[in-house]
Amino acid sequence: MISGEGLESLGSISANPGSGSQKTLTDGSRVAVVGSGPAGSFFSYFLLKMARTMALDLTVDVYEPRRFCERGPAGCNHCGGIVSESLVQRLATEGIALPDDVVQRGIESYVLHMDVGDVEIATPVEERRIAAIYRGNGPRDSEPLDTHSFDGYLQQLASERGANLIRRMVIGVVEEGDGMRVHCADGTSKVYDLVALASGVNSRLEEDVEEHSRQFMKPVRTKTFICEFKLGREVIQETLGPSMHVFLLDIPRLEFAALIPKGDYATLCLLGDDIDEDLLDQFFGSPEVKNCFPGGEIPMHVCHCSPRINLGSAKPPYTDRMVMIGDCGTTRLFKDGIGAAYRTAKAAARTAVFHGVSAEDFEAHYWPLCRKMDTDNRIGKVVFAVGSLVQRSRFARRGVLRMTSLEQNQSAKQRRMSEVLWDLFTGSAPYREVFLRTLHPVYIKDLVWNLIAGNARRAEKSKSANGHDGEGRHGPH
Amino acid sequence: MVPTDPPGCGGNEQQFWIRAQQLEKLPPCQAECPNTGNVRGWLGIIAQRQKHGLSLEQAYDRAWKELARRNPFPASIGRICPHPCETRCTRGDKDGAVSINAMERFLGDWAIDRNLPLPLIEGQSHTESIGVVGSGPAGLSFAYQMARRGYTVTIYDRRIQPGGMLRDAIPDYRLPRRLLDAEIDRLFELDIAVIRGVELGKDLTLEELRERHDILFLGMGAQGGRRLGVPGESGPGVMSGIDYLRRRKLGTNENLGNKVVVIGGGNTAIDAARSAIRDGAAVTVLYRRTKEEMPAAAHEVDDANIEGVEFTFRSVPTGVLREDSLVTGIEYQYKQPGNPDEINQLPTDTVIVAISQEPDWQGINLSGDGDKWLHTEEDGKLADDLWAGGDDRGPGVASRSVAHGRIAAEAAHARLRGNPRPQPVRRQVGTGAVKTDYYESQVRSERLRRPQDEWLEHPEEEIDLTISSEEACQEAARCMSCGLCFDCHQCVMYCNAGGYSPVENAGPGSYFSLALEMCEGCGKCIELCPCGYLEAREDSSLAAD
Repeated sequence: MISGEGLESLGSISANPGSGSQKTLTDGSRVAVVGSGPAGSFFSYFLLKMARTMALDLTVDVYEPRRFCERGPAGCNHCGGIVSESLVQRLATEGIALPDDVVQRGIESYVLHMDVGDVEIATPVEERRIAAIYRGNGPRDSEPLDTHSFDGYLQQLASERGANLIRRMVIGVVEEGDGMRVHCADGTSKVYDLVALASGVNSRLEEDVEEHSRQFMKPVRTKTFICEFKLGREVIQETLGPSMHVFLLDIPRLEFAALIPKGDYATLCLLGDDIDEDLLDQFFGSPEVKNCFPGGEIPMHVCHCSPRINLGSAKPPYTDRMVMIGDCGTTRLFKDGIGAAYRTAKAAARTAVFHGVSAEDFEAHYWPLCRKMDTDNRIGKVVFAVGSLVQRSRFARRGVLRMTSLEQNQSAKQRRMSEVLWDLFTGSAPYREVFLRTLHPVYIKDLVWNLIAGNARRAEKSKSANGHDGEGRHGPH
Repeated sequence: MVPTDPPGCGGNEQQFWIRAQQLEKLPPCQAECPNTGNVRGWLGIIAQRQKHGLSLEQAYDRAWKELARRNPFPASIGRICPHPCETRCTRGDKDGAVSINAMERFLGDWAIDRNLPLPLIEGQSHTESIGVVGSGPAGLSFAYQMARRGYTVTIYDRRIQPGGMLRDAIPDYRLPRRLLDAEIDRLFELDIAVIRGVELGKDLTLEELRERHDILFLGMGAQGGRRLGVPGESGPGVMSGIDYLRRRKLGTNENLGNKVVVIGGGNTAIDAARSAIRDGAAVTVLYRRTKEEMPAAAHEVDDANIEGVEFTFRSVPTGVLREDSLVTGIEYQYKQPGNPDEINQLPTDTVIVAISQEPDWQGINLSGDGDKWLHTEEDGKLADDLWAGGDDRGPGVASRSVAHGRIAAEAAHARLRGNPRPQPVRRQVGTGAVKTDYYESQVRSERLRRPQDEWLEHPEEEIDLTISSEEACQEAARCMSCGLCFDCHQCVMYCNAGGYSPVENAGPGSYFSLALEMCEGCGKCIELCPCGYLEAREDSSLAAD
């Protein structure tokens, strides 16, 4: 199966004359896509779709050893499984409509849990719903349901476009002559004109690529924690409802924690800086978390693991004849990884078909998108830093709680705090937008007022109740 | 640091943190093999050859060597073994057991065609003298195992031709002579002297031999055919199955007549019946129980049926009928449950009795209590200098005899060198530990056979054919490697912590190392390890293996 056929075809007519690049995809060119998560599948899909408009005949081999049709960790793809409505809509405009059986359930609101109280934030605008999905075919021990894997669905789209799915694990990509040789774990290898690396952030392939490359640096990563509880549909409905539960707790290094209902199961997702056992102890020990479970007891999980997420981008996310997309290239900080996979995949495919596959081509036509996302991530870091300041300060938490509660109770008024929180939790909007909204004078004015009012009210109450903390549950329930 | 369960998660029967250990386990094929052959090992060499940069030829050579470490006659055993290894093959429930027997035969033929030498244990040479009585599978196996460890071996056999039952009892259409000769000749290229035509108890005494050798191994087999004990049995026209088969091979048989009755239900009975068909007789097999209860391999019984052998079940012979000392028929009881026994008669010219064999002690009394079988320790030891194996310890298949010889040699070698006795006890792969869904479906390659109408046209020609190299490759790849790593990469792929790393000098069964200090306790690697090599540590602690 070792072949160099791809190399011989390079002499034929270029589909994009005048692009200036010496390295282009031509009729018969071979493309390897390493990994068939959302990034790999989107890339294959768009590459083949765009090539068709150019009457360009490509062979696309997608390497994916996993089977997403399997339940439990085998088909799992390490994430909380939230697709923002903005992405769902963008996919719809591409002609990709997520079938109903891929969506576990629509999320209708967020419940924010803090030591100073809870508040429910309803969907700000009717359209901005959130879809909870399973990346594989459901958790360990789950009954076969009529639901399907999100990743499996995208993989199927790519296959329908003509991509060849190869169930082999890639362990190395090495430059060879005027091509890239892809080495598989079973000892086989093949040469390609272009390799799209979409192996995510949890594979070790990038370490190998980094070792073999003079310039490439893999993204900086950190450890998260994801855990699956089997509670039963009725219990979920009773305790969690159609809401995603977000915890703003004063636990060092914890940036974000959410409990997401999905059918019979609930997915717990902790993000932050190196989520470790001490942090988990604190988290599971806090009453705000315990109260979300029946009887105030944390039940036994069905599975848990500590997948990595990116804290920065790969630098640069391309070389000659190789482009990194999705998590192994550039993604959005903490949120909307699938949206980032879509955007990077499409930009990389467009560059490859319409411009070329040299490092210069990717630099000119692919890098700008990555840079933009990078910049937004830097803003995101500031936003999350502010967020963690709020988490650390009971004073600030009271202000946020009061402002959000009032917004939620008075439907006519503009919900500035709710929207900021919503976009921060869902990743629906760029961090830049979120940040700019927090600089709005009305937002600042409201926040200052709520900080004073929220804390003053507490001061009065505690005086009258002789030190008793009278904070109750706010917001509509 | 040993992590503790988070609050709220304690007190459950299930552990929160699950840590893996890499532990090789005994696969069902090896557990069922009478000679505990390392089937997974030699199949793995072929299946994983590309990972070790071996060409297909090199892989076959190496696989044969691994196979021949325990069995010096793969071409022969690969033809005649009832292959219990395949009965519990994990693949069996998915798409058919791996064709282990056909693979063994393929590799055996491969080695004969390529003149491959038997694998010696290099750098060993010992002065102790080793004697072996009998050159059947047990004696030859013992001689081989001692010779490859550097001992000088002398074999004594009362016959001129070596091979014991392999040569005497197995008809050519099941095991062509030239292959048996090739495998035995190859064995005799080692430091083994053969003294032919000497009989223990007649030409030599046991004491003489024990005097002469530091270790003496008795592999005398069970060559005496058991008698029916019915009137009319003595005299011409009645013979044991073994005698009939042996004389047939030597070409010294008398005429059987037109009709032959074979009594018995074992492999010897079937071999005798099919041989008599080849000698032109009409053959009926009388067996005292039902078809399902026959100890003979079912496919042999079916083949006999195809060739025209008749079967009469539930029939116990009560007398041989004679006229003027010539056999005219056999009288038997037909046993029907619930009905009184019927006495029937069947006319015949010859009666072949193949009900069982027993050792022919030639005047030696070893057991002392008059019992005809030898009672040894588990590894074949009778005394410090005297060991035994094969059918003289009770009837069994050929590969059990090969095992007896090998195990006795390993133990005798350990004794001579002052090493502890080998204790190869390993835990078997648990039920359900192998995730058969992981493996792609691939239909089993059945062995090819000559067309049925040609079987009797060329009566001595082998009926089963050896599988092709292409099929052998496919079959090797079907092995699921139960209980031993085969480099599937699942653990590496799913470990978020990067706890698994490829080892530098990877070899079969050794591909990845596990850095426990990096383990995050999710247990995915254990769940996703398809072959059951990884398992949970009971204490989930970080203690090293």
